[in-house]
Amino acid sequence: MTQMPRFALLLAIAALLGACASTPEPKSQMAVAEAAVQAANTPSTSENAPAELQVAVDKLALAHKAMNDKDYERARMLAEQTQVDAQAAEQKAQAVRSRKAAQASADADRALREELARKSGS
Amino acid sequence: MNTKYLKLIGAMTVAGLMAACASHPDTNAALEHAHNRYDAAAGNPQVASLAAAELQRAATTLSEADKAQKDREPTSRVEQLAYLSSQRVAIAEETASARAAEANTAKAAAERDRLRLAMRTQEADAAKAQAANANANAANANANAAAADAAAAAAIAQANRDQARVERRDARLAELQAQLQDLQAKQTDRGMVVTLGDVLFDTGKATLLPASRASMDKLATFFKAHPDQRATIEGYTDSVGSAEYNQNLSQRRAQAVMSELVALGVPADRFTTRAYGEERPVASNDTSAGRQLNRRVEILFAALPAQTVSQR
Repeated sequence: MTQMPRFALLLAIAALLGACASTPEPKSQMAVAEAAVQAANTPSTSENAPAELQVAVDKLALAHKAMNDKDYERARMLAEQTQVDAQAAEQKAQAVRSRKAAQASADADRALREELARKSGS
Repeated sequence: MNTKYLKLIGAMTVAGLMAACASHPDTNAALEHAHNRYDAAAGNPQVASLAAAELQRAATTLSEADKAQKDREPTSRVEQLAYLSSQRVAIAEETASARAAEANTAKAAAERDRLRLAMRTQEADAAKAQAANANANAANANANAAAADAAAAAAIAQANRDQARVERRDARLAELQAQLQDLQAKQTDRGMVVTLGDVLFDTGKATLLPASRASMDKLATFFKAHPDQRATIEGYTDSVGSAEYNQNLSQRRAQAVMSELVALGVPADRFTTRAYGEERPVASNDTSAGRQLNRRVEILFAALPAQTVSQR
């Protein structure tokens, strides 16, 4: 009867250790995160979504640090976050660019409409 | 900015790692936040319609987070999935925003094309109107020029006609004067006068002698050549004899000259006769030569049309 609690305790310790420590190296996640940051790191993103890009870059650095510390769970989570952060930065830059283009287009429209009104008025 | 983000990341990571090793609460703030973000995006028609696939990816991740929470998986796992879901919602929102802006750009470009077409049409219409105007003006100008040309031509023709008329009259005057010159016409203050001397008549008679023939022919020719030329035929005598006799003689002689001219074909109505008798002598009656000069018939030409013309 005393074996059961002991077994349970061992299981619990093992589970806790497993949760907090030994996970496999998240090599593919790191590679994906690396690629995502590389893709997002363009002049346009630097200009139009600098804060968001910085988050992704910094998080990738933290992920590398976690890899060095062999804290693979932390590295995997940071790598996953880095990937969506990089995508979000890239997409935000795209949206800002598109909105600027739309504004320029609308301005050109207005100018042309004014010119037309002026011409038909004269 | 960087430090703020680093702190945020650090806090999140620490919280996540701590949660992984801690107990499972029933609710999770990060998961609730993720739900709120997702609901807001899904409720936005622009995101729902323009970034449906991206939104679906966020929904899938959110479901995984919910399942992890329900299965009492480590909080770090729940919060990781909640974070990923929230970021995917952000990606969906930015995607929708970009696409909406791109649609607006395209719409504005199309509108610009339409405006440019309208402008070109307007310009073409204006140019057409201007051309029509110019044509009308040109037509007007042509008409005016034609009228001016016609007027000028008419004026030139008139001038030519006037010139011709003047030349004709001048020629006629010259001719008249030449012919009168031939008849030894003299310019007096009464007009042109041709004097027929008494040698053309027998003494005391009113009959023209044959010697008068040449002069009479010339006169008749002249009058026939100038149908509008009228003349007064005046008879004069010397002072020998009674005044009554002389008056009578001068009348008959004037009449004889007129009769001769009529006989030669000049209409009688061109002439009037006048008898002056011994009046208006042109020389002294004291000498034979003077008396001969006084016996005469004068043909006084009425104001010549040629003279009238030349004065004009």
